[in-house]
Amino acid sequence: MSLNDRLKELRASGIDDAKRAEHLKDLNDLRVKLLGKKGPITQALRGMKDVPKEERPEIGTLANNVKKDIQEAIENRIQEVNQRIIAQKLQEETLDVTLPAQSHKIGTKHILNQTIEDIEQFFIGLGYEVAPGYEVEEDHYNFERLNIPKDHPARDMQDTFYITNELLMRTQTSAQEGRDMDAHDFSKGPLKMISPGIVYRRDDDDATHSHQFHQLEGLVVDKNISMADLKGTLEALCRHVFGPDREIRFRPSFFPFTEPSVEVDVSCFNCGGEGCRICKYTGWIEVLGAGLTHPNVLKMSGIDPQQYSAFAFGLGPERFAMLKYGIDDIRDFYTNDVRFLEQFKGVN
Amino acid sequence: MKISMDWLKEYLPVDHSVEEIANKVSLTGIESAPVKLGTDLSKLVVGHITSIKPHPDSDHLNLCQVDIGQSKEVQIVCGAPNVANDQYVIVALDGADLPAGKKIKKGEIRGQVSNGMICGLDELGVKESLVPTAYQKGIYVFPAAETPGQDAKELLGLNDEMVDLDITPNRADTLGMRGAAWEIGATYDEKPQFTDPKLDETKVKAVDDVKIQIKADDLVTDYLVRTVSGVKVSESPLWMQRRLWNQGIQPVNNIVDAANYVMIEYGEPVEVYDLDKLDDKSVTVEMATDASKLVLDDKITKDLNQNDLVINSGNVTLGLAGVIHGQNAQVTSKTTNVLIESAVYDGTSVRKAAQRHDLRGDASNRFEKGVDNGAVEISLNRVVELIDEITDLDSYSQVLVGKETPAKPTIIKASIEHINRLMGITLTDQEMIKILDRLGFTTAENGDQLTVTIPSRRWDMTIEADLIEEIMRIYGYENLKGTLPSGNETNGGYTPQREFINKLKSVLLSEGMDETITFGLVSKKEATDFNTVESEYTRVLHPMTEDHEYLRTSLIPGLIKTIAYNKARKTSDISIFEQGRIFDREEVNDRPKEVEYIAGALSGDLGADTWNTNAKKADFYDMKAIVEELLEFLNVEATFEFTPTDKIEHLHPGQTAIITADEKTVGFVGKLHPEYQAKSSVDDTYVFELNVYSLLALTKKNVKAQSAPKYPSVSRDLAILVDKQIASGQIVKDIFNNGGEYLKDVNIFDVYQGSNIEIGHKSLGYHLIFQNPNDTLTDDTVEKAFTQIKDSLIDQFDVEVR
Ligand SMILES: [Zn+2]
Repeated sequence: MSLNDRLKELRASGIDDAKRAEHLKDLNDLRVKLLGKKGPITQALRGMKDVPKEERPEIGTLANNVKKDIQEAIENRIQEVNQRIIAQKLQEETLDVTLPAQSHKIGTKHILNQTIEDIEQFFIGLGYEVAPGYEVEEDHYNFERLNIPKDHPARDMQDTFYITNELLMRTQTSAQEGRDMDAHDFSKGPLKMISPGIVYRRDDDDATHSHQFHQLEGLVVDKNISMADLKGTLEALCRHVFGPDREIRFRPSFFPFTEPSVEVDVSCFNCGGEGCRICKYTGWIEVLGAGLTHPNVLKMSGIDPQQYSAFAFGLGPERFAMLKYGIDDIRDFYTNDVRFLEQFKGVN
Repeated sequence: MKISMDWLKEYLPVDHSVEEIANKVSLTGIESAPVKLGTDLSKLVVGHITSIKPHPDSDHLNLCQVDIGQSKEVQIVCGAPNVANDQYVIVALDGADLPAGKKIKKGEIRGQVSNGMICGLDELGVKESLVPTAYQKGIYVFPAAETPGQDAKELLGLNDEMVDLDITPNRADTLGMRGAAWEIGATYDEKPQFTDPKLDETKVKAVDDVKIQIKADDLVTDYLVRTVSGVKVSESPLWMQRRLWNQGIQPVNNIVDAANYVMIEYGEPVEVYDLDKLDDKSVTVEMATDASKLVLDDKITKDLNQNDLVINSGNVTLGLAGVIHGQNAQVTSKTTNVLIESAVYDGTSVRKAAQRHDLRGDASNRFEKGVDNGAVEISLNRVVELIDEITDLDSYSQVLVGKETPAKPTIIKASIEHINRLMGITLTDQEMIKILDRLGFTTAENGDQLTVTIPSRRWDMTIEADLIEEIMRIYGYENLKGTLPSGNETNGGYTPQREFINKLKSVLLSEGMDETITFGLVSKKEATDFNTVESEYTRVLHPMTEDHEYLRTSLIPGLIKTIAYNKARKTSDISIFEQGRIFDREEVNDRPKEVEYIAGALSGDLGADTWNTNAKKADFYDMKAIVEELLEFLNVEATFEFTPTDKIEHLHPGQTAIITADEKTVGFVGKLHPEYQAKSSVDDTYVFELNVYSLLALTKKNVKAQSAPKYPSVSRDLAILVDKQIASGQIVKDIFNNGGEYLKDVNIFDVYQGSNIEIGHKSLGYHLIFQNPNDTLTDDTVEKAFTQIKDSLIDQFDVEVR
């Protein structure tokens, strides 16, 4: 066999071997075996001395081509094998992505606090301070400073847990009004505050009553505060809480510490005013009480009612939450069934 | 009060529907609801019984032949005990509807045809307590002849439509038809028309033998009396009876009814007495004594006391002033001479007496909210007029004055500019004056100033703000355009305390704990169980139940109760916290301090068994990990120490630590005592409680950014054998104390006791990390520090270094 033929034969068998190799190791071995210094091509080229001189360059070129072709065949095959290996690995690693994941549970903020914080954030944006108050309060702040002297019939309306004759569990967050007006330096500008917190009444607990519940009081004292300012503020609040399309209306009412006093209704967020079970077919839902602060209340804080005026409002976070989420038993807020609590994950 | 449309139309030309009126009055004045009577009644007519005979097969039924205005009389079987011949009665015809879906059908009763039913008022939906006593146990009999076949529903006022005013305490002026007419009239811009009582002056006969004495002058504003002679006591005419029962008042007799009728008409309670039963024709208004008794009826006698204002006659107490008239000197069928009393008493005194004796009623309700002292005499005269009209009196006395306070109109001055400014509107003077006129107020104008004269019937009006409310509500709140306060800018926000609390809560939420809110008022046991602050107990004076009697001294009992509540509902894996106040009182004070606390509890498993993980039972260290993460977030200089304690009652003596910072206690973490746990019906439960104010008082770390270390750290492992009683915390503290300036961190990687370890000992392994931020540490330096650490441990705790 001529050297030429021998090389061509080596090329054919080398490419064939490469194509048939199944493992990367075999291909590496093949490379060493065929193309290494002790390989058959090198061996065959030892016969070059028997080739006529003029034919030698041609044989040399052929030998290089044979090496290159085998090399190429091995590399192609390596790529093929690699692809097969990856495909197999991917196949093996395939998961059922519908299986549930192991979560890191994050706790749920109590729905009342979510409701309160939502309202707080609204008012902070309007420049209101959030004032804490006392749950144990003096009769003086809870009643007298709110124009409810001893023997006033309004004291029957809100049955009170007294601790001593002068000390009680506050019945309303309005008790904070006197304290904040006393403390405020009006030379530094208006007083704008809200005061959320827990209040207590001597009620039997049932689906609509709780001896403990929350209130959120608001108070703005400045020169030129008007009923229109109160309406605009509460309109914005109700739209923030109950949706941008809400309207509000004022109805005359009576509280000893405001004059005029109003009850505030919001247009029904369920039916949009058409009438439904939630709004008792009136299209309106009563949500809070408000008014212009009674001149006597201002005077008791040393504020001249001719120079200053004020509005105040009080709302019930329980009522807001019950309306908004359709909660029908106030006791649910305080029994803390975690299944109840956790349904409000992230609502506000 | 329910305002009858039928009655209102005597004063006002209103022809709107009750729904429309109720809605409009709600928006301009007083919350109102429409009421329509008798919507469930039909086919009720007047029947005249022309003959009656016993049912042949019954010992209590009668066969009545009844004229119902048709060509033939009909037979109706009737079982009422008071049925009799010649009565005018209510007949429910064949097919008639009665309340609660009841239908009357023609039929046979024990073989006798019955063409309907003769009815009692209660069968028509009138409350039994409002039915005249004589007809409570039987059928109702019309007081006078009526036309057979006439619509009985209309005749009985049971088709009336009413507007129910739910008044606020300041609007008691509408607790009378006249006041209500003014209010509704103002709403519709209609002035009500009233006719004042006109007495027959020829019947007035001067009386000088009636003695009136007012001894409690400060509690009686007005006390006027007239006596009338020759009354004929009987049932009231139907028109009066029906108006009374529609007002929720039981008709009694024409004299008592006339007084009650005037109370509804004028809002002024009036009382009547049998003049001949008074001791020496005398009445005295005075304070009762602690021995006084008021006989209400044969069964009930009230013990009075010296705070009660009473009407006495001689030694006999007739009634509690403004509250109730007892049995003595009541007007009965035998009465011929009557003393009529129209008075105004102090509202607070009446309210307290009514409360004290549990006797609140129509009269006390009016006195306690206030009555118009300008209508005392007119109401008195109206009662006389009515009685004269009904029973044709022989004579009556002049007005006998016990006390009289002239009713003065209120004058309020107001500024047009101020009114507009406070409302945020721009009404002209004329618009304001017109609104005030609708209310019956007269106004004089002088530049910007309005001087408004307000009649005594609106005694709630005292200051400019009251006037502003009247103008605004009649003008209409719907015409008010909302604005926002336009004053100087203010900086809103939370207090630093509240910001801090918000941060603490967010850490616990991210640790997977649900937030709860429990009660501030707790049982004595709950106030006692975890009183770690050693507070005096604070109790409310009149608790509703023993469950809510004391102010809480810890948040832990509320959390445990919550866990038990959930466990009873099959949720036993619980991770919860509460942020709230505890009440810490010193003995010398009545008032407790309110201290913000934060507390948490873990019970059951952490997470749940899933397809690829197993749930882990919560343990002490899981609770402690949360606490440590919370403390880490405080970003304070102080280091927190966990010192074992067996001093907290109801916590496990071997799994509880007091937490201190700068040697001050800030809280604790621990496991519930197994016995307490069992009593509380909860599984293994771990709790912590921290004083928010103590944490807030700690000095904040002044964080300055540092670049990552440039030089490598060096580590050493330390294994020691130590007495079991020695806490790892003590060891770590000692290591830090002796480790020199380059000791950066100490981590425990092994705790072991058991085989191969000497009894009463444990083996601990620590990983120590040394680092010099400015240079590479030499072995020498590290070795020196390490030796010092080991020496100290041997010296301090007798450890064996392994
Ligand atoms: Zn609706």
